[in-house]
Amino acid sequence: MTTFLINLVQLLIFPGLLFCVVFGVLLAGIDRKLVARMQRRVGPPILQPWYDFVKCCGKETIIPRYAKRAIFIGAPYVGLAGLIVIALFIPVSTYGSAFSAGADLVVILYLLTVAGVALIVGAATSGSPFAGVGLSREMVAMISYELPFVLVLLAVGRVAGTGTAIGCTFSLGTIAAFQAANGPLIAHWSLIPAAIAMLLVIPCEVGSHPFDIAEAETEICEGALTEYSGSPLGVFRLSHYIKMYIMTALFCAMFLGGITTGIAGVVGIVVDVIIFLVLCGVVSFLCMTIPHAICARLRVEQIFKFYWTIVAGLAAVSLIMVWVGL
Amino acid sequence: MTISMAHFPILAIMVLFLGAFLVALFGRKSEVLRNGISFLATGGAMAFMLALIKPVMIDGEVITYWLGNWAPVSGWAIGISIEVDALSLFFGLVITVAVFVSCIYAFTYMKEDDSLANYFTLFLMLSGSVLGLVLSGDLFNMFVMIEIMTFTAVALTAFRNNYEGAIEGAFKYLAVGALGSTAVLTGIAILYCQLHTLNLAQIAATLPQYADSPLTIMAFGLLFIGFGTKAFIFPFHPLAADAHAVAPASISLMISGVLTKCGVYGIIRLVYVLFQNVEVPAVQYLVVGFGTVSMFICVTMAFNQHNFKRLLAFHSISQVGYVIAAIGLGTALGLSSGLYHAMNHTLFKGLLFLTAGAVQHATGSLDLDRLGGLAKKMPKTCILFLIGAASISGLPPFNGFASKWYIYQAAFEKGSTSGNFFFIFVCVVALITSVLTLASFIKVAQSVFFGQLSPEFKDTKEVSLAMRIPMWILAVLCIFTGLLPGKVSEYLLTPATNAAMNAVNYIDQMMGQGYAVSHGVAGSLGDTAVTFAGVWDPVIWLLLLFCVTCAVAIVAILGSNRKLGTREAPAALQEPEKVAPAEAKYEPFFSGEESVYSQVGGSDLFWGFKHNLKKYFSFMHDWHSGIVNDYALYGVVAIAFVLVFCIAFV
Repeated sequence: MTTFLINLVQLLIFPGLLFCVVFGVLLAGIDRKLVARMQRRVGPPILQPWYDFVKCCGKETIIPRYAKRAIFIGAPYVGLAGLIVIALFIPVSTYGSAFSAGADLVVILYLLTVAGVALIVGAATSGSPFAGVGLSREMVAMISYELPFVLVLLAVGRVAGTGTAIGCTFSLGTIAAFQAANGPLIAHWSLIPAAIAMLLVIPCEVGSHPFDIAEAETEICEGALTEYSGSPLGVFRLSHYIKMYIMTALFCAMFLGGITTGIAGVVGIVVDVIIFLVLCGVVSFLCMTIPHAICARLRVEQIFKFYWTIVAGLAAVSLIMVWVGL
Repeated sequence: MTISMAHFPILAIMVLFLGAFLVALFGRKSEVLRNGISFLATGGAMAFMLALIKPVMIDGEVITYWLGNWAPVSGWAIGISIEVDALSLFFGLVITVAVFVSCIYAFTYMKEDDSLANYFTLFLMLSGSVLGLVLSGDLFNMFVMIEIMTFTAVALTAFRNNYEGAIEGAFKYLAVGALGSTAVLTGIAILYCQLHTLNLAQIAATLPQYADSPLTIMAFGLLFIGFGTKAFIFPFHPLAADAHAVAPASISLMISGVLTKCGVYGIIRLVYVLFQNVEVPAVQYLVVGFGTVSMFICVTMAFNQHNFKRLLAFHSISQVGYVIAAIGLGTALGLSSGLYHAMNHTLFKGLLFLTAGAVQHATGSLDLDRLGGLAKKMPKTCILFLIGAASISGLPPFNGFASKWYIYQAAFEKGSTSGNFFFIFVCVVALITSVLTLASFIKVAQSVFFGQLSPEFKDTKEVSLAMRIPMWILAVLCIFTGLLPGKVSEYLLTPATNAAMNAVNYIDQMMGQGYAVSHGVAGSLGDTAVTFAGVWDPVIWLLLLFCVTCAVAIVAILGSNRKLGTREAPAALQEPEKVAPAEAKYEPFFSGEESVYSQVGGSDLFWGFKHNLKKYFSFMHDWHSGIVNDYALYGVVAIAFVLVFCIAFV
């Protein structure tokens, strides 16, 4: 019974639903504020993303003529749930992960795909040509970042798994333990290209500004979200914010683990978690805010080319260096 | 084991062949008799296979049966034999389930065709031959079964010979498939000249003495590429595409789910039991290399297809590529993941072919550029398609994810322990292929079930329950095998893997205790214990997803209800057909313009991807010329390559 209650708290409050929502919204708000400042605008209040979400939930939901109702309404919720489940598997500094036995990096990779597929299927069922174009672009973006992402995961798994019986790992728990013992993986110089590649993967995975081809409101009317309104739209927006948190937390868990105070007990854990969140904020600033403020949106084929040559190249260099034992 | 159990394998094969003769004799008279015989024959074969699970899979027995009691005399096997170990039974189970499902689907699906007695005769012969192939204990009978299998499959491919390209597809299959059969026959002939026996167990026992002989290696190369042809690996994949596109859906299920598995079974038998050379690095490169190339080239080919079933055909080879790459790794984990994926592939690809058949049955078209918006008209088929598509794209928690997860682990681990970068490359290709698979199923979903409904298909009706039941059987199996990887592994994969890795037991059960060791067969291959690089528990995962979905939905619904009474759109918006003509001018402001039909065509999706790789795609376009001479040439080149590679490196 106690285990069940603890699990329930983990699921609903920390590091599950409530925490994801709060921190995701904060990250998104800070991002918007900082971008505005960098562009010499005043910018919205920090909580603007939350206001947007609440406003959306109060609006009427319109179901398009061609849509299959259950899929159209259900898709955003499945996507959001998929993301929150990821949050339960990512180790949060010394607090660890809520359900470490449940999943490894490959599962997380696929759960991120589930979130993407939810958006795509929801868009597809709306029957709008704009959504059709949007989902096609979303899928191309997914193919684009998947290659470097996979290479990064393998490089990290190889380094962190040196101590294990088979010399490689996909388990986030093992990666966290390795970093707790040997310091953060980003200090491992052959992994630096992989870390840069990962920083470039994050904005495309999240769909933030220079890589937001799938939503490009000026070209294709928000693409996949064209026909969405009311609370499903709000949930999709919320998923977007939570994805910002998930991806930055994944980066911190993979490359910036082991940065802790070393204080034992609850206080230590709280301080460590706060450090972790600050690191998430910094990563978010580096990989999302700066490109957002200074770059113009890329075209579809440019994104594909960029990721399969430059970013994948960086990650591959790292993987090969790691493999020959540098 | 009771005496009767020993007869089960031969009975399973016999009921199918007997059924074929009975249908040929009486099937023309009455439909009930024809369907009844087919149902009983396929159901009976499946029941015999299921009954063998207990002794073979759980108790670990090997069932041997000598036809006419021609048992070996002083260590020489002359008679025809049947030997069922866990590996054979694993494939036997997969095959009989697929055959049964295909049979009950065909009752309704084929209803409007004529000369159905011929269809079911050929179908039952095909089923009997594939079952005979995996249960057979001697090499020549395997060849005989391959021949029956190929010829019945060719005839069934061209069964709807009023279709455009049906005869052509069948002819290509016949001509290039004959190359594979010839390779198998030549390989068998070489082995027979050298060893004077055709019994699998005896060959396996005596081959190690001749392991370095160039003739043995040549026989290996020929048998490998011969079985590879039956699995349609690269460069034989264009045949499968041409055959699938025109065959009836129930036969597509057979070709993709059953025939390719025979090729896979042949390769496993070859490298693990017969030649026991899977630990030779060159053999690993050969097998894994062919698998990886098939995997990637076929998935990119699938991107450009306009025909639903042609697209599925290319995916079929791509998934078989996964299987072959996994079994070529030579580790216990690799083999069991390959077997797992082979089974899952039969389930989900069968399901997808049946949904394609349902779409064809309902609309009369398989053209991805013309179809669209069928989710409204065929909601139940749409759900089944989504289950199949999620399985093949490897979305958790469906079975495709489970087996692909095992394959990634196996390849990563193999690369790590052997220190060989080639296997890491395989792992990367496998992961990328998976996302490309997803992309092309998104394309199918968007072009067939979602998007805008073409006016041409506005009167489409959902298919009947009789066609949906077989699909549901496969869909439920897809979900169960995905959710219970532990059970599947315990009862099916581990026994099969152990059987394949323990050639000594296979030989001894057939030829008498101590036969293998006295001929110098060195124990079992490697360690069958399995270590994983990662963790994954589908039950935890699913529970979590369920809880979170509920929580999110409840929070969202409660939250919105408090603010607004109802969020239901007005009836007029949900059912715009009922809107009076006077209001039609407001239509565009609600949902698109009715007058403009602007479906995004299936072939136009993913332009960004294709644009960047246009050189690759135009090369592939020219390469798949559709001319049977070219395909035969590729086949000959492949055979020559394998022979040269084997003699040079193995």
